[in-house]
Amino acid sequence: MLTEVLQGSDSGGIVIIRDTSSYSGRDLLKYCINCALKREEDVHVLGFEVPEQELRSELDSNNKHLFHFHNAYSDPLGWRKQSSFTVEQFSAENITRLVRETKHAKASVLVIDSLSWIERHHNPVAICQQLHKLKKGGAIRTICCLLHMDLHQQGIVESICHLANTVITVTAVNNALYAEAKTTHRKKSGKVMQEEEFFTVMENLSLSIEKRPSQSGHAQVHSDAKVDPASNLTFNLRLSEVEREAKEKVALPFVFSQEKKSALLKKGQGSGRIIYEPDANDDFDEEDPDDDLDI
Amino acid sequence: MIICIVFLLTQDLQSCTSFHTVPPPGPCVRSEMFPELNSILSSSPENFTEGEFILLSDRQADASFLIHHYLTFYLRARCRVCFLGLVQSFSHYSVVSQRLGVNLTQAKEKGQLVFLEALKASPGVLLGDESSDKTAALDYLRSPCPELRGLYEFVWNSLSRAGGEDAAESWGPPVLIIDDLSVLLSLGVSAGAILDFTHYCQATICSQLQGSMIALVRCDDEEYDEDEESSNYLLKALSHQCSLSLRVEGLSTGYCRDIHGQVEIWWRGRGIKNQRKIFQYKVHDKGASFFAPGTSRAVL
Repeated sequence: MLTEVLQGSDSGGIVIIRDTSSYSGRDLLKYCINCALKREEDVHVLGFEVPEQELRSELDSNNKHLFHFHNAYSDPLGWRKQSSFTVEQFSAENITRLVRETKHAKASVLVIDSLSWIERHHNPVAICQQLHKLKKGGAIRTICCLLHMDLHQQGIVESICHLANTVITVTAVNNALYAEAKTTHRKKSGKVMQEEEFFTVMENLSLSIEKRPSQSGHAQVHSDAKVDPASNLTFNLRLSEVEREAKEKVALPFVFSQEKKSALLKKGQGSGRIIYEPDANDDFDEEDPDDDLDI
Repeated sequence: MIICIVFLLTQDLQSCTSFHTVPPPGPCVRSEMFPELNSILSSSPENFTEGEFILLSDRQADASFLIHHYLTFYLRARCRVCFLGLVQSFSHYSVVSQRLGVNLTQAKEKGQLVFLEALKASPGVLLGDESSDKTAALDYLRSPCPELRGLYEFVWNSLSRAGGEDAAESWGPPVLIIDDLSVLLSLGVSAGAILDFTHYCQATICSQLQGSMIALVRCDDEEYDEDEESSNYLLKALSHQCSLSLRVEGLSTGYCRDIHGQVEIWWRGRGIKNQRKIFQYKVHDKGASFFAPGTSRAVL
């Protein structure tokens, strides 16, 4: 489902890629940009976090003229007085105007890298309002944003993702080259589809989806067939019928059976009398020392 | 005077109990002080990656030995270094660098090193003395000024001039070292302002000037809640931006005399280049040795 959603077969909306510091979602964002370029759509990038050459590298060379990078990386706050796009300019009107400046008539895609940067300077409510206006505006067909989940409170992340048609959460998988993507896609009909997939973004920005891998750390090896331990041995551990009967007949030492009970109740045949000859040094007293006990 | 020297000597890489005076500076010693670390990171003063943002962090340990390493490393590599010393005085780094074979005073005189001694300049700013060029860098102490724009201007002015007045001395790529960022949080600067500052530093020094940037963030274990003004938040946010992260921690089993802690080195690349490795280390008189966990000489 990841491929279909990013290749944009559905008609637009807001796509949010959520990542954490352990695995960057920027590769997936680049894949999204590449797909849009292949569809010959105008791509406008509000780049706050990485410089232009890092995003532009490896993109489809045929349609590079459709890639418009609005540089908000070098001077986003106007400190150097050479800013191209500042964070203050983030509003639906400004962005719509920027997008309309390009002459291409086909639908446009807006890519925001990243929403987390903007959230540091704008109220989350304001961001949601601007995104909503852009979605309804008509100048932009698809908005694809990157959001760093671990930098915001959960409430803010959820409220921004509530606007989105598609939310892709990427997480790293222990010691693996691929990552896990959990996609939640809300169709126009209202149906919500969810899927978990493992993917890698290759050097040429192609997406490779893996099945659930066998060397996953959470593999549950459940043996259905019971293994017979007495098989494949050099000695014999099995019993024949005669041996089995004899084994069952053996009386266990500490089991109190009927025979033992009757044996104990019978008096012994005068075995084991004790004869004591007191020595000269012995102080033999015939009296019973417990005589005075009143039991 | 003698008391000062004794005090400074105790702030050595390893706590020093002998009170001998520092020997006079001899010819620059070219021996490798952190050979294992250089080989792990595949870098040397003659050959290192440009445009890197290296994030150093520690939790219940002291990563300042890495700051001393990078300071001497880049000075040896003949780079122009801007050092923001927000927590220690110049003489502290000077004494330690002497042991590692680099003369900071000489570097400063030659113009190779620009050192911001924030501790020395702070009382003047706080008490409201006349503002000079230097104290604009410490604007963050004057409330309500939450921006680190002044500090950024200072860094830009120090590193943007190529070679300084003396055209004969051509230095290598510019390097910014910050020791450390967490103290700014304690001084009332918001995490957002610090992140804006590091963003600008990275955009100009790393991307534009192809230089490198090293920053230290010190974390506390108590701040485990989701506070947006804590060092943990700063660390997470900077981890997104950095290209190399070295996390220093004490051993989970407690204090050990022969193993001072462990370092997690995280190369943040794409695909196969994204690697994390853990090494244990021991800091000694003239450097630190790094080894794979369990292979300390004391154990084997």
